[in-house]
Amino acid sequence: MPHLVLDKISIHYEGQQAPAVERVSIDVAKGDFVVLVGRSGCGKTSLLNVAAGLVTPSRGMATTNGRPITAPGSDRAVVFQNDALFPWLTARENVAFALRLRGVRPAERARRADELLALVKLTDAGDKRIWELSGGMRQRVGLARALAAEPEFLLLDEPLGALDALTRERMQTTLLDLWTASHVGVLMVTHGIEEALVLATRIVVLAPGPGRVVRTFEPGFSRRYAAGEAIRTIKADPAFAAARGELTDAIFEGEVA
Amino acid sequence: MTVTSYTERSNQKIDEVDGLSVPWSPAAPRRKGVSARIISAATILAVLAIWALSARLQLVSPVFLPSPAAVWNKFFVVANDGFVDATLWQHAVASLGRVFAALVAALLIGVPVGLAIGISTVGRGIFDPLLEFLRPIPPLAYLPLVIIWFGIGEPSKILVIAIAMLAPVALSTASGVRGVSQERINAARSLGATKRQVVRHVILPSALPSILTGLRIALGAGWSTLVAAELVAATRGLGFMIQSAAQFLVTDVVIMGILVIAAIAFVLEFIIRRIERVLVPWAGRE
Repeated sequence: MPHLVLDKISIHYEGQQAPAVERVSIDVAKGDFVVLVGRSGCGKTSLLNVAAGLVTPSRGMATTNGRPITAPGSDRAVVFQNDALFPWLTARENVAFALRLRGVRPAERARRADELLALVKLTDAGDKRIWELSGGMRQRVGLARALAAEPEFLLLDEPLGALDALTRERMQTTLLDLWTASHVGVLMVTHGIEEALVLATRIVVLAPGPGRVVRTFEPGFSRRYAAGEAIRTIKADPAFAAARGELTDAIFEGEVA
Repeated sequence: MTVTSYTERSNQKIDEVDGLSVPWSPAAPRRKGVSARIISAATILAVLAIWALSARLQLVSPVFLPSPAAVWNKFFVVANDGFVDATLWQHAVASLGRVFAALVAALLIGVPVGLAIGISTVGRGIFDPLLEFLRPIPPLAYLPLVIIWFGIGEPSKILVIAIAMLAPVALSTASGVRGVSQERINAARSLGATKRQVVRHVILPSALPSILTGLRIALGAGWSTLVAAELVAATRGLGFMIQSAAQFLVTDVVIMGILVIAAIAFVLEFIIRRIERVLVPWAGRE
């Protein structure tokens, strides 16, 4: 079973007094949806970048399937907050980018890209240019592009952070649908408390100064959605409200108000 | 540091000087009354009128200032019968050929050099001082040296123009490369791109708008170097035509030549803006 493991990771950026992250361990298995939450400066994006291979930890070990992570790779596709799409390509060509890098034939990669665009509900947008798409549509293209690389893990750095509240709500179910359809393991960073509860199979709460794990939750609401329950029923469940209160407390615990 | 400021400055200057609309400049607020375009047209007409009037009243000797009609007629005479053994068309083709040969050379060298400056510290260390040295030297200053080294043939003329074009192309490319968003590069790498693929599929296309701006500036620089390049041992070319005419005090050909050079520069600028709109429609829309 594929495993992405961050083992006792410490990150000490050059020229900074305190380490950004100290001895954090996170384990993402295939089929997991792990969400990192925490106040600003808790190092959640740094940890995601370690998993992506964009930041080298000062101490500790990051591995996928037992092999150390030394560089970015298509087994761990990243989706950023700002979509980072390529404006000189159409939506379809953006999605097909990873396939083009691998030398897949044009007809085959167009077919595959269209499948993925259908999966993110953008069937008719293939020929559109990036600047013709709304923020939500761009983020869908970004997700499809990441999935085209057929990653084992999807690393999401606040992918819904720049979207308006209504779009974000809809994108949450899209993310869950993609996660169940693709069987990848997801590691996601977010600021949204409700978002974390809806999406995660496991929530890791980090606290700043230096970044460390203070609690983990296993909310289980996303499993209920995957089993067929409607998202509204889930959010209306008193258990959801209770979990939200508990998670909020955990995030702001020990903060000097 | 010098690199960015250079292109920005040049950009701004070009956009201000020509009257063409820039796709990414904000729309000017509509004012009541006359527009700048009408004022410009009126200015040109006024200059023409003063010119015609002073020629008609013989305020200046026709040897120094022939009438607009004489210049206009000369255009057709030179176009049909030629001047100094070549028609106007042949002169223009000779000049355009030199400028485009130089442009190709400047692109072949300047774009890779700009990439090297933008991507690697070693590249910047090597090429930045060389370009900064070369950039401010007027072409007439290095023309004699080029002739000593490479003779008075066609290669020397092309080389003089190419040197003038090199810095704008390389420095614009470098500033475009440095402006590539790190997130885009990271995204490509996490999708499995090698370093070479990142350059080919992300950095080059991202820098393309900037490269085209450099090309536009370079073409302007090269075109204005033309007359200097044709100073020595040319037998054809617009610059050569003007100089030969000046030696025989054929002022109408001199003025006609200047106007033709200006007109061609204007058309080239227009064509490049069209190319920009087709090749990089995303510029300024991200």
